Amino acid sequence: MTQGAAIDVLGVAKRFATDPPGAPAVLGGVDLSIGANEFVALVGRSGCGKTTLLNIIAGLETASAGEVRVGGTRVTGPGGGKGVVFQQNALFPWLTAARNIAFAARNRGLDAAAAAALAAELLRLVGLDGAAAKYPCELSGGMQQRVAIARALALDPAILLMDEPFGALDEITRTEMQEELLRVWEARRKTVVFVTHSITEALLLADRIIVLAPRPGRIVLELRPGLPRPRRRSEPTLARLHEQIWDALRDDHAAARA
Amino acid sequence: MNARHALPPLALLAALLLGWEAAAAAGWLTPIRFPPPSRLATSFRELALEGFPFGAFLSTHVVATLRRVLAGYLIAVALAVPLGLLIGASPLLDRMASPVVAFGRSIATLSLLPLALVWFGTEEAPKVFLIGFGCFWVMLSNVIAAIKLVDPVLLRAARSMDTPPRDIFLRVMLPAALPRIAAGARMALGMGFVVIVGAEMIGTSIGLGALIMEARTFYRSDITMVGMACIGAIGFALTALLGLLEARLMPWRRGRQT
Repeated sequence: MTQGAAIDVLGVAKRFATDPPGAPAVLGGVDLSIGANEFVALVGRSGCGKTTLLNIIAGLETASAGEVRVGGTRVTGPGGGKGVVFQQNALFPWLTAARNIAFAARNRGLDAAAAAALAAELLRLVGLDGAAAKYPCELSGGMQQRVAIARALALDPAILLMDEPFGALDEITRTEMQEELLRVWEARRKTVVFVTHSITEALLLADRIIVLAPRPGRIVLELRPGLPRPRRRSEPTLARLHEQIWDALRDDHAAARA
Repeated sequence: MNARHALPPLALLAALLLGWEAAAAAGWLTPIRFPPPSRLATSFRELALEGFPFGAFLSTHVVATLRRVLAGYLIAVALAVPLGLLIGASPLLDRMASPVVAFGRSIATLSLLPLALVWFGTEEAPKVFLIGFGCFWVMLSNVIAAIKLVDPVLLRAARSMDTPPRDIFLRVMLPAALPRIAAGARMALGMGFVVIVGAEMIGTSIGLGALIMEARTFYRSDITMVGMACIGAIGFALTALLGLLEARLMPWRRGRQT
């Protein structure tokens, strides 16, 4: 099993061709170093460029300036051991849960039997052994995201990039999925970059939290909860950190409007 | 469709026929213009056993019409599917073709009848051509749209999983587009039955369209109506067949309304 790789974001800026001239960049030169097997959350309001940054790391979008290195190698495109979990509906609806996972496994060269075996193993890991033959439309939103995580793991990726993977789920399912993700992550250590707009979610999950602010997208705060997992929501440290993050977001917003 | 589902539409149909029969019995409808269902049943038997014009049995008309519609339809589908896939997958081709496709779709097929006679004579060829022409544009525009409207998140997911370009087309875009292509195939078939009546107006007395026109000259409104009902029944049956084929081809969509 591939271990997590370090990610280096070096001066990454992004402007879209459709942006009017003079408009602030989506990302204005972001530097960020993520250690191997570190779990990093990117938090910020809509439009702060957190998803764009994730997509650039994934190689799904290109940076206007700067570069990203994964395990020391420059990112030039998607794939190559960069697993991505999207917000929702990214499973292939025409494939069963097991076949969705096997699709990824086949792409990294496993034969049909090995891919099927891996799919069964990963379904067990995400607690869905019974759903192998179900189509995505027969699964709940939470179950679909479990399959999506298993599919990304089937690539045996060095890094796992998650774009608001639980953003479309209800609160209860979401809490369950957070615990589930930590359990899976304990079993399969990877470098994780997790985009969310939930401060609480970031605090519960991540080793390090990167707070981004918009216009231009940039890092305004970094902090490490430094608490063992699983973390309790009622933990006083988390409440204090929550305030700190919220202050950073609010101050930046007030400054931008002044 | 099980018995409980079939009951409400059958009840409505029976009520309409009964009301119609009652209106005729009450003398509100002139039998020669608006023959009642009981008269149509007799006409149906006459058509089936003696034929109209005499010796041209219902089965002969049905076979002739089916053969023309299916020939034109299958040729149109065989041409439109590969062409539509090509255009839909290439933004440049799509830009080039889109006015032509909009233009072709807007031509009322039967306005080509005089030209079809000039080009193809008065035998089977002009009829098959007209049906093929009508079906082709409906099918083509639907196949193009089907490919263009493939959810981009599926393509991003495929790219993030190192899917080779050939597989992205064959194993992602094609199955993702299939439901809309199937819907286009159903619409195109409907178009075939719209065109057939006009296409059979010239140069033949065999075929349900010809039957309808021929009956008018003899003031046989009843035969016209039986002909109409037969076209409707055949269209219904073929659409149901396509539905079965779709359920077969797309098991992940079973039980879903389209």
